[in-house]
Amino acid sequence: MLARVANNLFWMGRYIERSEHIARYMNVNYFSSLDAPNQISQDRQFVLRSMLFMVGEPDKDSNGTLVEEEVLFKIGVDPSFVSSILNNVKYARENANSARDLISTELYESINKFYHFVLNYPKEVFVRSGLHDFTTNVTEMSAILRGKIRGTLLHDSVYAIIMMGVNIERATQITRMINSKYNDALLSQSDFEDGFRKSFEWTTLLKCAESYDMMRRYYKKPPTSISTLEFLILNPNCPRSVMNALNQFYEHVKILNPERKYNKESTAFLIGRVRSEYEFKYIEEIEKDIKSFIESILKSLEEISNKVDEEFFNY
Amino acid sequence: MKTNCMSNVENQIFSSYQRNPDLYDEIYDSKGNIKDIYQKLFDIYGGHSIQDYINLNSKAKASFFNQGITFQVYGEDNVQEKIFPFDLFPRIIDPEEWDIIERGSIQRAKALNLFLWDIYHDKNILKDKVVPLELITSSANYLDQMNGLNPPGGIYNHISGTDIIKHKDGQYYVLEDNIRCPSGVSYVICNRTALKRALFGVFNHYQTYTVTDYAENLLEQLESVKPKGVDIPNCVVITPGMYNSAFYEHSYLAKTMGVELVEGRDLFVENDFVYMKTIKGPEKVDVIYRRIDDAFLDPLEFRPDSALGVPGLFAAYKKGNVTLANAPGTGVADDKAVYTYMPDIIKYYLKEEPILNNVHTYHCSRPDELQYVLENIKDLVVKPVDEAGGYGISIGNRLTQQEIEEVRKQVKENPRKYVAQPIMSLSVHPTYIDDSESFEQRHVDLRTFTILGKDKEFVLKGGLTRVALKKGNLIVNSSQGGGSKDTWVLKK
Repeated sequence: MLARVANNLFWMGRYIERSEHIARYMNVNYFSSLDAPNQISQDRQFVLRSMLFMVGEPDKDSNGTLVEEEVLFKIGVDPSFVSSILNNVKYARENANSARDLISTELYESINKFYHFVLNYPKEVFVRSGLHDFTTNVTEMSAILRGKIRGTLLHDSVYAIIMMGVNIERATQITRMINSKYNDALLSQSDFEDGFRKSFEWTTLLKCAESYDMMRRYYKKPPTSISTLEFLILNPNCPRSVMNALNQFYEHVKILNPERKYNKESTAFLIGRVRSEYEFKYIEEIEKDIKSFIESILKSLEEISNKVDEEFFNY
Repeated sequence: MKTNCMSNVENQIFSSYQRNPDLYDEIYDSKGNIKDIYQKLFDIYGGHSIQDYINLNSKAKASFFNQGITFQVYGEDNVQEKIFPFDLFPRIIDPEEWDIIERGSIQRAKALNLFLWDIYHDKNILKDKVVPLELITSSANYLDQMNGLNPPGGIYNHISGTDIIKHKDGQYYVLEDNIRCPSGVSYVICNRTALKRALFGVFNHYQTYTVTDYAENLLEQLESVKPKGVDIPNCVVITPGMYNSAFYEHSYLAKTMGVELVEGRDLFVENDFVYMKTIKGPEKVDVIYRRIDDAFLDPLEFRPDSALGVPGLFAAYKKGNVTLANAPGTGVADDKAVYTYMPDIIKYYLKEEPILNNVHTYHCSRPDELQYVLENIKDLVVKPVDEAGGYGISIGNRLTQQEIEEVRKQVKENPRKYVAQPIMSLSVHPTYIDDSESFEQRHVDLRTFTILGKDKEFVLKGGLTRVALKKGNLIVNSSQGGGSKDTWVLKK
């Protein structure tokens, strides 16, 4: 496979995954805030700020008033905002375009349909009443794409590269969500005891990661800061956990790099190291300093992505 | 026998069809009756109401959009994505006529190949004064670098696109040979797919040749012209990139052949061998089906500002380490001025009479013919010899007096740049027109695709029927608002 095309496929995977997480974050935060148990979590300004924080555009003026329609427009369908869902889907398609000879017709057609859906969604409807419809469609279409990736591609290096992109992005987005909700949980602490530990924001976070139901099944208790973080970061069986994404990434990089003993400079070596670090971590360690831990995950993920770039895309 | 009900519906869809008796209509005979081969099709289409037809039409369009079979049109400030307009009423070519087209296309491709070999080697045809020397040496597409070079397998024009029309005398004429990077073959296949999806029933009544065997034949041909010493050749398709208007076709061909689609930046040359940059390091490339023009192939040899090409590619080619299809320098032979010598070229090399007619052409470079052209512009089509895509063509009977003067002035200033031909009357075919929601006569042509390999020749049984969608327009190129039709070649 051409190095340039591999790079495009990697990013196609990343953009598909990214658009889904942003859409779900918007959807869940907005709708769960409508009847949230405390004032702050219910406050629309608070929700809009959280959305902007998640896409990496935190509002600098914390006293100003955000206009709901403007924020939704920006994150959802603004052609001039690089991180909008529209642009994520557009980039996914552009990357798919240049690798069109390698991917299946079925996958390409679905990406193309996805793009036309997002592109042609009436923007005024979206900001007024289309948030639910638009974001659920985006999440469902990305699920379809994942199905087509899995079900119609040859499970060779092309597939491996896409899945590496999907998983590194998933780990990144989940970590960003944790970061953003951690922030919200701090801000929305109420006066009574345990406000942070038992914050409503943990439930929202789990729903944003589509992991709430399974978390309840696993712990059989309402979510707390500890159990939520443990589930979303360390639990290898939770399909959205950072650990799971790292494991998947490792499985796929092995397709590209089937040796047993890895060169110290390789991606497989690095991911193996990062993975074993988290595999033998316990949550109490993390809890002491959540903020630095989140930062260190993001840093590791970035290192992995740079390594992929260096090893596979730079010839 | 037709039932009443049937003929009522038929009235709906074809009732407003106006047949101009001065034009050759592909589906009617000279007495105004539907030709036998079209009768069944005519009845089946007549069984649909206009509303049905509109629905089918919009479904076909959506299918093209979802499949991403689009091309880019460069506007003043934005790039638009458009689909190539597609007409659901197919064109049928009967086995006898097809036989002429097929043999004629191969004959031309072979003659052109021999001609190219000759003018880049011994130049006998020039010495024998069959084709004037200055015609070749003055051509912008003649590549000195190709002199004395032996392309692998002895093939120059691996892929030829021949543009053929039917004149009102019912005869086929070649308008143009395209042996640089002829495009359109992917649309032949898409058109067939779209028609099958929309109206699969019509195929039950006709025995039509498939068009999906193009890619396998192309790959076989590319492998047949591999460089010496290569066992299993690594073939690739090179494209200018995803913003090129034919990118869909490039990716389609790479995908269906199962080979890599590369851009210039994916390749590099080391010790006169060509490699592509893969995720596992460099991999040698043996045969390149190139879809970029000569001038951009290699910045060291041709245009130094080319970012699309590969530095050193031509040197590797010269050493015989890589095959380029088509060979560089073929453009000299599909020049519109060389076209006019085609009957002589065919006779010279093949000792055969041309199977397909050539349109008589006046060379403005010859003083007596120039005089005739200048005096008769209103009855002629004046074309620049080296423009592609239908640009720069003046059709005499459409010009105002002032425009005629304008053309006369241009021709006088640079006679070598122009040729002129009698105004040919392209045949017409019923075509569904969105604006009037009915079928109307529209001019059509046909591009055939011929593949020439080592001991191998193949003509795709079908070809691209292009339709001039603007009423009365004779230029069918997609950049000039043309559409296309599925083209059926019937089995004997």
